[in-house]
Amino acid sequence: MAKFKLKAALDGEKGKDHKVAKQRKHEREALKRKAKKEASAAEAAAEAVANGGVPVPLDEVEVKLNGKKKTKAQKNGVNPAPKAAEPAPAVKDSEWETDGEDEEGSDDDDDDMPERPALDLSRLDDSESDISSDEEEVQAEEEADEADEDAEDDEEEEDDDDDDDDDIPLSDLDSIASDDKGDIIPYQRLTINNTAALTAALHRIQLPYSKLAFSEYQAVTTAEPVEIADVEDDLTRELAFYKQSLSSVKDARGKLKKEGVSFSRPADYFAEMVKSDEHMGRIKKKLIDTAAGKKAAAEARKQRDLKKFGKQVQVAKLQERSKEKRDTIEKINTLKRKRQGADITTTNEEDLFDVAATTDEPKSERRGRKSDGDGKAFNNKRQKKDQKFGFGGKKRHAKSNDAQSSADTRDFSARKMKGKPGGASKRPGKDKRAKKH
Amino acid sequence: MASVYKTLSGSDKHEKETGEKKNKQRVLILSSRGVTMRHRHLLQDLYSLMPHSRKEAKLDTKTKLYQLNELAGMNNPQARVLCAIVQLADFDPGIESPDSLDKLTSPELYNCNNVLFFEARKGKDLYCWMSKPPNGPTVKFHLQNLHTMEELNFIGNCLKGSRPILSFDAAFEKQAHLRVIKELCTQIFGVPKSSRKVKPFVDHVMAFTVADGKIWIRVYQINESEVGKKKPAVDGEEEEMEDAPAPKKKGAKSDFDVNLVEIGPRFVLTPIVIQESSFGGPIIYENKEFVSPNQIRSDLRKSKAGRFNTRSDAQRDSKIKHADLGLTSHGGRRKEKDPLSDQVLFA
Repeated sequence: MAKFKLKAALDGEKGKDHKVAKQRKHEREALKRKAKKEASAAEAAAEAVANGGVPVPLDEVEVKLNGKKKTKAQKNGVNPAPKAAEPAPAVKDSEWETDGEDEEGSDDDDDDMPERPALDLSRLDDSESDISSDEEEVQAEEEADEADEDAEDDEEEEDDDDDDDDDIPLSDLDSIASDDKGDIIPYQRLTINNTAALTAALHRIQLPYSKLAFSEYQAVTTAEPVEIADVEDDLTRELAFYKQSLSSVKDARGKLKKEGVSFSRPADYFAEMVKSDEHMGRIKKKLIDTAAGKKAAAEARKQRDLKKFGKQVQVAKLQERSKEKRDTIEKINTLKRKRQGADITTTNEEDLFDVAATTDEPKSERRGRKSDGDGKAFNNKRQKKDQKFGFGGKKRHAKSNDAQSSADTRDFSARKMKGKPGGASKRPGKDKRAKKH
Repeated sequence: MASVYKTLSGSDKHEKETGEKKNKQRVLILSSRGVTMRHRHLLQDLYSLMPHSRKEAKLDTKTKLYQLNELAGMNNPQARVLCAIVQLADFDPGIESPDSLDKLTSPELYNCNNVLFFEARKGKDLYCWMSKPPNGPTVKFHLQNLHTMEELNFIGNCLKGSRPILSFDAAFEKQAHLRVIKELCTQIFGVPKSSRKVKPFVDHVMAFTVADGKIWIRVYQINESEVGKKKPAVDGEEEEMEDAPAPKKKGAKSDFDVNLVEIGPRFVLTPIVIQESSFGGPIIYENKEFVSPNQIRSDLRKSKAGRFNTRSDAQRDSKIKHADLGLTSHGGRRKEKDPLSDQVLFA
């Protein structure tokens, strides 16, 4: 089918070419004649008249070409009228040549009329310039025409874009000038939606629903089409499917009950299921696993939270304990001082007991004071390590001076600095020392 | 023709005895070679859901699909004529339906009047063909979003061989090609009453929905429970109350509540082409919105390649620019000696 059309189109195009060639011949002859006439008769005429006369033959040439390719015959009728100065025989000549073609073209021309005037004005302007460039102008006009028609085609294609359903079926291509047929490539594959054939096929295979009981086919169509706003949205989509099935089930259930067909399986009816027991077991296991996993995750989170909180609790407890310890030590110290002083008898039994209970006090006292005195947080781990390995920390630079010690002037005595006696006992001389031993 | 007449006349008596119209369907399920595990599982799932189906070994060819007609056993002239008569009889009450397709037996015939054929391509794309063998139309789908029962872990279950309710979206009635698809689905997925392995209960529903130009298929178990006992499921799908309602009054059957539990499988069909006859004939519908997965993949690849190309172009350009400026240590243009540089002036 398509091949045939293409062939026809090709033939048409070829025929057209012949005609165009013929036309060109005619045109050349006519131009020659006109040139002769102008040379002989119109030489005498005024220059203005000659200038006026030139456009007319050109216009007619135009018409000859355009008559073929959808230009207007009316132009012909309108333009020559004001130019009364032109020689009448020429007009007759040209019209005699173009007559049939004009009639051929006239059908197509009417619709194109509105678009024309601008183009024609330009042509008129061109025509004033030169006669010798006739061929070129003809060419130009052809191109202009083609451009024009291309524009029209573009419009048509845009229309097609607008309503997607209408592609360019091959049959429609006929309406487009056959010259340009070769240039148009149907830009989209043709939609095939042969509704008649589809309906026929449907009728061929359709079950006779009117004669069948519902229980024979059990197909339900919903009353309303299912609307899903966003197909990507899983939850709403599945919900829509669920609702559709549920409504159909209710519908079908009613119909089946009406027909007296058994619907649900009795509880004591056991038979092979679609999913085997093994498969169901796997599913159950999976469900249990996921549930257990969820539970375990919740538990773990709770533990984590507890741990976070518990650490604070522990720190608080330790601080409290150390504070308690410090208090007792202070108490003991005061007691000791008191005992060293006059009043020993005032010591009561409890205080004594306290002292006895904390015999290894000095060690821990030092540690406790260290950590608390520095205002650092109590470090349990550090304490444990200290217990195990002895007090850590840097051993080097322990005896070197620091800002505090160098500022400490308790041991300083100006006398000593001056080398005066009475200060520290002088070291005996080497001799004396040797004698001693 | 004589044999046809014989079968016809023989069947007439048979038909008169039974009296009532029957819906008889048999489906041949098979796949091409090169299916993946999931495709095979889908086939298995459908086979288990369709007691009226017959599974066949993988088809060797992907081009000569008309062989399926012979395989289904509907390609001999006898079957063709009989089918035509059956179809005529559906419309014209004057013609007696022969109802004798079952009796057509010959060694290689399976007597299937439906074919469900899965064609795998490139080990990843699955195409699904539904056809009514002797004369009927063929629809070609592209099958996507495939999830088999195996991997879905839905708790729904149903009897093997029970009959489904087929639920169709109203959109199926809107367009001619969808009507054809609906009819085909009804005949292929609907389990006929008289099927051999059928169980006489209805405990699942198969939903076909048109959305986004595609056909979405879901299978649900129908779960009935007494109204009083059952709380309405919140999100419907996952909730299933396993506590069996103690039957107090057997008579009050009307106030049963129905809810659904999904069984699986899930898949989506995109119609591509409808042919007029079975695995052949003119194309009567073509989905122009369908883009082949190959096209999609190649577009993706091209866009990626485009990114690479632009990047490598930019790299090359910058290299050339550097070379032109004399900034590279190897190759490129030498930097012109500046006539005013120290080396020149104090040489």
